[in-house]
Amino acid sequence: MRLDDAARPPKARRVWLGLASVVALVAAYTLLSNAYRVVDPSLLPDPLRGLLRPQILPPTQRIVDAFVQLVGAGAPLAGGADLHPGDHIGGLVEQRVTLQGSLLVSTYRVLIGLAVGGSLGILAGLLMGWSRAVDEYVHPIYILFRSVPPLALITYVMLWLGHGTAHLLIPIIYAVFATVVIPTYHGVRDVADVYVKAARALGAGGRLLLSRVMLPAASPFVLAGLRYALVIAWMTTVGVEMLMGDDGVGYLLIGGGLWSSRLEVAGDPAVIVVGIVGLALVGYAMDVGVRVAGDRLTQWVKR
Amino acid sequence: MPEPRRRRLEMRDVVHVYEGKTATRALDGVSLDVHDNEFLAIVGPVGSGKTTLVRIVAGFLRPTSGVVLCDGAPVTGPGPERGYVFQEEAIFPWMSVRDNLGFGLLAKGVVASEREKIVAELVRLIGLEGYEGAYPKELSGGMSKMVEVARVLATDPAILLLDEPFGLLDAQTRSKMQDQLSLLWEEKRKTVILVTHDVEEAIYLADRVVVFTPRPGRIKVEVTVDLPRPRSLETRFSPAFLALKRSIWKEIGRA
Amino acid sequence: MNGLWRRRLWRALLSLGVLAVLYGIASQIGSALLPRRIWMVAHYIEDVELLPPYASLLEEAVFLVKSGILPRSILVSTARVLEGLALGAAVGVPLGLSMARVARLEWLLDPWVTFFRFTPALALLPLYALWFGLGELSKILLIATAVAVVTLLGAYQGVRDVPRVYLEAAKSLGASDGLILRKIVWPAALPQILSSVRIALGLAWVTVVVAELIKATMPSLGYLLALAGAYPRVSTIAVGIVTIGVLVLACDAAALGLYAMATRWMKRSPADA
Ligand SMILES: Nc1ncnc2c1ncn2[C@@H]1O[C@H](COP(=O)(O)OP(=O)(O)OP(=O)(O)O)[C@@H](O)[C@H]1O
Ligand SMILES: [Mg+2]
Repeated sequence: MRLDDAARPPKARRVWLGLASVVALVAAYTLLSNAYRVVDPSLLPDPLRGLLRPQILPPTQRIVDAFVQLVGAGAPLAGGADLHPGDHIGGLVEQRVTLQGSLLVSTYRVLIGLAVGGSLGILAGLLMGWSRAVDEYVHPIYILFRSVPPLALITYVMLWLGHGTAHLLIPIIYAVFATVVIPTYHGVRDVADVYVKAARALGAGGRLLLSRVMLPAASPFVLAGLRYALVIAWMTTVGVEMLMGDDGVGYLLIGGGLWSSRLEVAGDPAVIVVGIVGLALVGYAMDVGVRVAGDRLTQWVKR
Repeated sequence: MPEPRRRRLEMRDVVHVYEGKTATRALDGVSLDVHDNEFLAIVGPVGSGKTTLVRIVAGFLRPTSGVVLCDGAPVTGPGPERGYVFQEEAIFPWMSVRDNLGFGLLAKGVVASEREKIVAELVRLIGLEGYEGAYPKELSGGMSKMVEVARVLATDPAILLLDEPFGLLDAQTRSKMQDQLSLLWEEKRKTVILVTHDVEEAIYLADRVVVFTPRPGRIKVEVTVDLPRPRSLETRFSPAFLALKRSIWKEIGRA
Repeated sequence: MNGLWRRRLWRALLSLGVLAVLYGIASQIGSALLPRRIWMVAHYIEDVELLPPYASLLEEAVFLVKSGILPRSILVSTARVLEGLALGAAVGVPLGLSMARVARLEWLLDPWVTFFRFTPALALLPLYALWFGLGELSKILLIATAVAVVTLLGAYQGVRDVPRVYLEAAKSLGASDGLILRKIVWPAALPQILSSVRIALGLAWVTVVVAELIKATMPSLGYLLALAGAYPRVSTIAVGIVTIGVLVLACDAAALGLYAMATRWMKRSPADA
């Protein structure tokens, strides 16, 4: 893209600049979030007065404290700060909710969603891409279902399945399913089709065609679909957990409460920030995982 | 006949090495002068560095060592005075034929009415009347190449760098385009570097033909073409033409 | 060509028709066999129609339309989606374009983009509720955040994928950086930007349904669903779900149409749906 790629500074510069920007922003935030200690907020002009409060912008050290407490499940703090069972973090600690435990539960839900929804979606995509008749009959139904945001389904699903494990999983599976179908379908129909014709001309058929020609040709598209499905699965998981879960990161972010009024209770921003950072890290790690696995699987597509 | 012998382009010991996993030495000390109003053709085997040399002259690549001077000043980057027709397809697919042809003029700040006039003239030159509003997807590969050539001609650059412009054309269109180019050159007297695989095309059009060695590219031989102008179909069958063709083929064939 | 489309349409209608008939049958059987008393966490709920028959769906739809609840909900939710979309794209697209053009900016922002890319936008909901209150602002900002991330990535990738030869050709024709941006980079990246907008639109609808649960004031589709779920009234839920589905479909079709219009010049626009 840039005209003179050779003139770009080396990769080390890139890492360095990225690091610098993280450090700079964290430092700036630390200063800003601690400003209330120095300046009396009530003297400040309006938008700042509202913002510069520890309940809104938690000081960096409070976030670190929250992290330590959420990881250690209430291990006494070095500073000796006390916990109130009534507030967000106190409530979580009392229920023995930990950051790593919540992340694990959510990851488990995402993985189930990917495994079940992903394989169903790939199957449906393959069928629709493979057979024109199936495509023409099923596609309209698929479009109909795909258009419903998975989270809108949750109350209905709960009526059928009750308030348990499954009703949280169904929207996630559904979301992954709906996301994976289309890339698989296009992979098979638009790309693999050429190879399929060539292989048919060479006399291949049936299972051989499916396993040796169609799947490999469509797999880069399937993998791209799975990568996107991962993002969608996390989104849905956090959503259902916030709305109805009894555990997982979504629950940690909200701190429980009656589900119909859950989001109206003000949470502790320090806990929320810790939860979000945890989510970002796990999401990133899983994306790297899918990418590495995908590169292995599709090594034959040397471009 | 190239009478004024002012040097327009000077290449001095141009070496180019592509860095990468395996460093490729594409050009290995090319020295070449192109005079004002001269028509120079370069022929050579695949991968012998012809495109590399032209891209250096066009200003898109910096030579690893050596210099290229244009009118006495070192080339530091691309510029509209050196019109460059790429070897690969470079027509803008999201612009109509008209907008493609007018792009250089737009960049130059030519007013719309003037632009329209020049574009109309170019459309006639390449015989694409009726296609002015078409997107390039509606053109054949040869037609879009012609648009690319005309697009460069629109701004009337003093120097033309043509990298295998007619490779995709059929024999008839190709010879028609060659005649057009020949006419244009005689009329406007531009300095031209033409890269081609077609020896006959090189002799028919050029004042001088430079033959490259296989990679790393070096000048193997220079042949001056002193066939009379204007050239025509007759030229192609004249004994002098055939003699030149034979001697160049011999040079290419020699290891 | 025409016959082909006729067959497609025919088959689509047939399969949707069969689905509709099957549901009708299921709802008849269901009204006899399915439990009408359901145990919910702490108590029983009476009079539940798990598969409401067409009659009660129609009745509910008529009620929701006549009372003005549904039309107003549609307007409110759609407005939020579109406002969030506009705001998010207005931030994401220019940022993505400039990150692709200016290496230094890219390096500076790279960690933050990666961070937001893997943060589910919904996770920001409690934070936004805290910062921007429980009103309109936090909902729209949440949608905008989701949209901004997706469109930023789309614009960035779109620019990075512009074939180098076009930039060079423009440069050698004497184009300035501004002209290259307007006439080369922008049109060449537009298809990818528009497909990212299409994806973002889908995400915006997912986000709005949940965002509308914060301090929900009556008319909005998310709230309609939540309220219906609290009773629970399945026919209201069903009408809500169908309405959202239709709106998502309409938005998607509009985005697809825009995409098709903007890519008329392409050799073969990537297929339908
Ligand atoms: N961008 C590049 N990076 C690395 N190597 C390159 C690059 N471009 C060309 N080369 C190598 O440099 C050599 C010369 O390439 P060049 O394109 O100049 O050849 P050419 O004479 O124009 O060939 P052709 O007649 O096929 O167009 C080739 O061996 C090629 O592999
Ligand atoms: Mg070449």
